[in-house]
Amino acid sequence: MRLVLTADDRIGVQTDNGFVDTSSVFDDIRFRTAKDRMPRVLAVFHERRSQLEELAQSGTAEPMPALQAPVPRPPKLIAAFGNYREGMDGDRQKQDLFLESPESVIGPGGTVVLPAHEATIFHHEAELALIVGKRAKDLPADESALDVLAGYSCGIDVSGRGMGRIGPSRIGKSFDTFTPLGPAIVTTDEIADPQKLQVTLTVNGEPRQNYSTDDMEYSVVEILSYVTGFMTLVPGDVLICGTNHQGLGAMQDGDQISMSIEGIGDLQVSVSDPHNRDWQRGIDEEMAARVRNRAGSR
Amino acid sequence: MRIARFDDDRMGVVASDDTVVDITDLLEQYDPLDAADLLPDLITHFDELKSELESRSASGGGKSLDDVDLHSPLARPTKIICMIGNYREGTDRPQQIMDIFFKSPEGISGDGDTVILPPHEASIFHHEAEIALVIGKESKDLSRDDAMDAIFGYTVFNDVSARGLGREGINSFLGKSFDTFAGFGPWISTPDEIGELYDQHITVHVDGELRQDYNTSDIERPIDELLAYISSITTLNPGDVICCGTNHQGLGAMQDGDVVVTSVSGIGSFTLNVRDSDARQWQRGVDEEMAARVRAQGQEAPAQGNGG
Repeated sequence: MRLVLTADDRIGVQTDNGFVDTSSVFDDIRFRTAKDRMPRVLAVFHERRSQLEELAQSGTAEPMPALQAPVPRPPKLIAAFGNYREGMDGDRQKQDLFLESPESVIGPGGTVVLPAHEATIFHHEAELALIVGKRAKDLPADESALDVLAGYSCGIDVSGRGMGRIGPSRIGKSFDTFTPLGPAIVTTDEIADPQKLQVTLTVNGEPRQNYSTDDMEYSVVEILSYVTGFMTLVPGDVLICGTNHQGLGAMQDGDQISMSIEGIGDLQVSVSDPHNRDWQRGIDEEMAARVRNRAGSR
Repeated sequence: MRIARFDDDRMGVVASDDTVVDITDLLEQYDPLDAADLLPDLITHFDELKSELESRSASGGGKSLDDVDLHSPLARPTKIICMIGNYREGTDRPQQIMDIFFKSPEGISGDGDTVILPPHEASIFHHEAEIALVIGKESKDLSRDDAMDAIFGYTVFNDVSARGLGREGINSFLGKSFDTFAGFGPWISTPDEIGELYDQHITVHVDGELRQDYNTSDIERPIDELLAYISSITTLNPGDVICCGTNHQGLGAMQDGDVVVTSVSGIGSFTLNVRDSDARQWQRGVDEEMAARVRAQGQEAPAQGNGG
């Protein structure tokens, strides 16, 4: 099932025939602001799923309306560092994750606005996104961990480099609009193996990232197990699983970014830079080489 | 005014006679979704509630502070944003680059609650006492002139920190995001309540022994500047908590059985207990090695990181 949130705050299912409005299944769910509704909906998603499926089948399909991010403001946004082998042999790097601002999410068709801050570059990082559907703590690193997910989505971890004080810039990833997410929450039963997904990203039609999740250092279930060793996950939390740096490149004013994960969908956003800065177009080969040759220097 | 959460999800004002006067009835009109909503509702509608809150605060006659069970004033902050460092620590080093990290808002600890040390192999678990502020209104791109208007009030924060976890050379700060590692209380004091902001005496006592002992006069970036910076990155919302950083001179281990009292002179103090099911032991007293290392920081050009 593909669960979507429309630009006018309707909750629905994307079917082969189009969009079916299923908002009525969640009419009783109270919320504070529209942005905070989806975590509360996802908290009851598993128990109301059959009701939702029934309505998705019997309801009237309409053409797909404009969408917003399926979780416009997650309770938490958690990102994996690196997390792809990128040709490295030998031992895996130590696992690590960090929190980003949950205000940074935008949806399909949104605009990434580059801030005035002096970054060396603003990179796209296409990532597999996990959407949490249940409270969870101390999950085992096996298939059963996937039960806490409502589903998968596409995420772009826009990254301003060269900012902040210690190590790689975390803060350069937390600007408002820096986490495009969508288009849908694709339930886990639709995805046979999350470690066999092809992730691509193009800028103005030109290929940039193109990698498979089979190259992940720490798998989806290992990420879920690791993070819940630290903190409780709650419905609506979003985890982004890290990126393969071979194929990163600049995002700059006027760019049209299109990301895709097979079986999950396409996510398009544009870029606006009120300061009209210019970076070299194409793949950032220097970054790609540096990550390939990493020796603890990242 | 001092605003507290206590007993069974009650909200109150701590009155001038040091009793807690229940004000939960005033918040029912906003139809709160759950306990986490009470304080955001109070903040959002503060202007219309203020005179009644002040009047109850002045008349007092509530329950004695000794007879109530205080909780962290916010059941779950919408965000917890922490300054990295942000004290000069007795050095005359140049200002370091401003930087922040996000801390998990799950599993908040309040007065009398227990910090549970995880089995992870940390090199040590430190207390970090901080003055923290609670945001009062939605804010983006605040100017320094307007920044202080975004503050609803102040609270006492202990940013419990596991060291030595995660990937080397990165500092993910994930060791600060274990459940129960965000401790704050005992209440929120409105800005008019706390006296001179840059003359707040901050202390930590562990089992009665003094550890951290510093003054906000030593802050590297004043609060208007850090609010302007943070809001240039991310939208702030009512109920967000911003921790203003700590002075590392005086950090020390938190270990099984410790009773940790964190205090800010103009606000108050709250107590955390520590439990470690592995009963690991670290050296007691101040971590002098850490203190020396942080004093040496910023004396040379900071390393510029890169990569994702």
